[in-house]
Amino acid sequence: MIRFENVTKVYDQKARPALDSVSLEVERGEFTFLVGASGSGKSTFLRLVLKEDHATSGSVYVAGQNVANIPSWRVPRLRRGIGVVFQDFRLLPQKNVFANVAFAMQVIGKSRGIIRETVPEVLKTVGLEGKEKRMPHELSGGEQQRVAIARAVVNRPGILLADEPTGNLDPITSMGIMGVLDKINQNGTTVVMATHDDDIVNEMRKRVVELKNGRVIRDEAKALYTSMIPVVGESRRLKDASGQEISRAQGEQQ
Amino acid sequence: MRLAFILSEIGSGLRRNLSMVVSVILVTFVSLTFVGAAGMLQMQINQMKGYWYDKVQVAIFLCNDTSTAAGCASGPVTDEQQANLQKLLESPSVKQYISDFQFESRSEAYAHFKEQFSNSPIVDSVTPDQLPASFRLSMKDPEKYQIISETFSSQPGVESVTDQRKLLERLFSWMNTASLAAVGIAAVMIICAVLLIATTIRLSAFSRRRETGIMRLVGASKTVIQLPFIMEGVIAAVVGAMLASLTLWLVAHFWLGETLSKQIPDTPFISATQALIIAPVLIALGGGLAGLSSLLTLRRYLKV
Repeated sequence: MIRFENVTKVYDQKARPALDSVSLEVERGEFTFLVGASGSGKSTFLRLVLKEDHATSGSVYVAGQNVANIPSWRVPRLRRGIGVVFQDFRLLPQKNVFANVAFAMQVIGKSRGIIRETVPEVLKTVGLEGKEKRMPHELSGGEQQRVAIARAVVNRPGILLADEPTGNLDPITSMGIMGVLDKINQNGTTVVMATHDDDIVNEMRKRVVELKNGRVIRDEAKALYTSMIPVVGESRRLKDASGQEISRAQGEQQ
Repeated sequence: MRLAFILSEIGSGLRRNLSMVVSVILVTFVSLTFVGAAGMLQMQINQMKGYWYDKVQVAIFLCNDTSTAAGCASGPVTDEQQANLQKLLESPSVKQYISDFQFESRSEAYAHFKEQFSNSPIVDSVTPDQLPASFRLSMKDPEKYQIISETFSSQPGVESVTDQRKLLERLFSWMNTASLAAVGIAAVMIICAVLLIATTIRLSAFSRRRETGIMRLVGASKTVIQLPFIMEGVIAAVVGAMLASLTLWLVAHFWLGETLSKQIPDTPFISATQALIIAPVLIALGGGLAGLSSLLTLRRYLKV
């Protein structure tokens, strides 16, 4: 569904690249965590998928299409196939819950009838039935994020990108949000979630891709936030991982 | 649905930015009024040219008691000289150039003079014998004035031959200058209007960056995102243009049509209907400029 082939993104020629020849494939219907410290390249990864930025080198494929070959007037069509959720929710404060979700359908020209039918369904999926008339400031953080998720998936995108969706929420509320994302994933949507939240990653036991300084240093199925290898072996494994990195970098230089 | 959505976006944009929108309306109103005024002056010039050039073009003034010209040394024009002149005017060599001529006697000249200067005290100090009698000629081709002048200047009893178009041309050149000045002011005001529209759109785009950001993310097309902003500028400018057109129509209808045309009855003024011809030009100009400046501004300040 998403494929990166040796993708490098350089913002500033003098600084190190934000992404450094990253190759990664996310299958259709997969749930993937993108973990790593701030500045490790998680957000850049998401921006490249959305074609908010273009890769300095390498190719990004979304739904089988090289995004570099999508003309600018077709970019909206690409984005309709991708839902996005942010840490800060990004709701429209003067619109109520229903209108916030409906907005995503209005701007792409869906008919009023379809909107009236679809929005309550999606609100039910995210657990917000009966709160259609509430304004964003009348909702808790967790509820606001559910509205944002509803808005992201209301047009039934194949991919859902979540950039630290639980970053502003307490652990219990966060687990609720994860439940919603898991449900959406089980309905067939590919989910890529960038996060710092180790509890969530450990709880969910999904694929984990760890980025460090723009490189993939770990890609494990059903993994934990940190490596699954016990503490004693962990240092060895990390060394292995970094050793692998070094050899790969050398390989490229040749 | 999308149309209704875009319309509601335009409405909310106009409401949020009301003071800026009002200033755009006023600036386009003033600038386009000047543009329209220049246009109306040109129309007026054309109208007067057509009217006057047909009517009076060349006057052959005859000697009277007070004439000082060389041709009048023998005193005022005699009946015989006048008859000769008339004969000359009717002769084929002259007739081919003129379409019509008529004789204006001194008393007729006096009557016209009194009418023309009815508001001026000069009327009281002028008597009929101070004014010369004249032949008034309409030319087939006004450019052939020189031939008439050469033929008649040296005839006995002729004081002078004047091309009255010269007088009119002076008036027209004054009106041309006025319309150029109006265009100059209009140009400055239009620059103001364009910059103001650009600023308004920028502010509007900034105050709605949340919405546009979300619109981008959910895959709204460029048109859906940009059109409300562009229409905001265009609507304001078109309202300004409509106000300008209305003002010009009022000027044409009440000032030219009802006041001036009574004060100066023998001058043909443009009608209010003719003034309305300018309206679509102004509206297209206002809308076009606003659309263009909005588009250029959005290209810089609203990433899609």
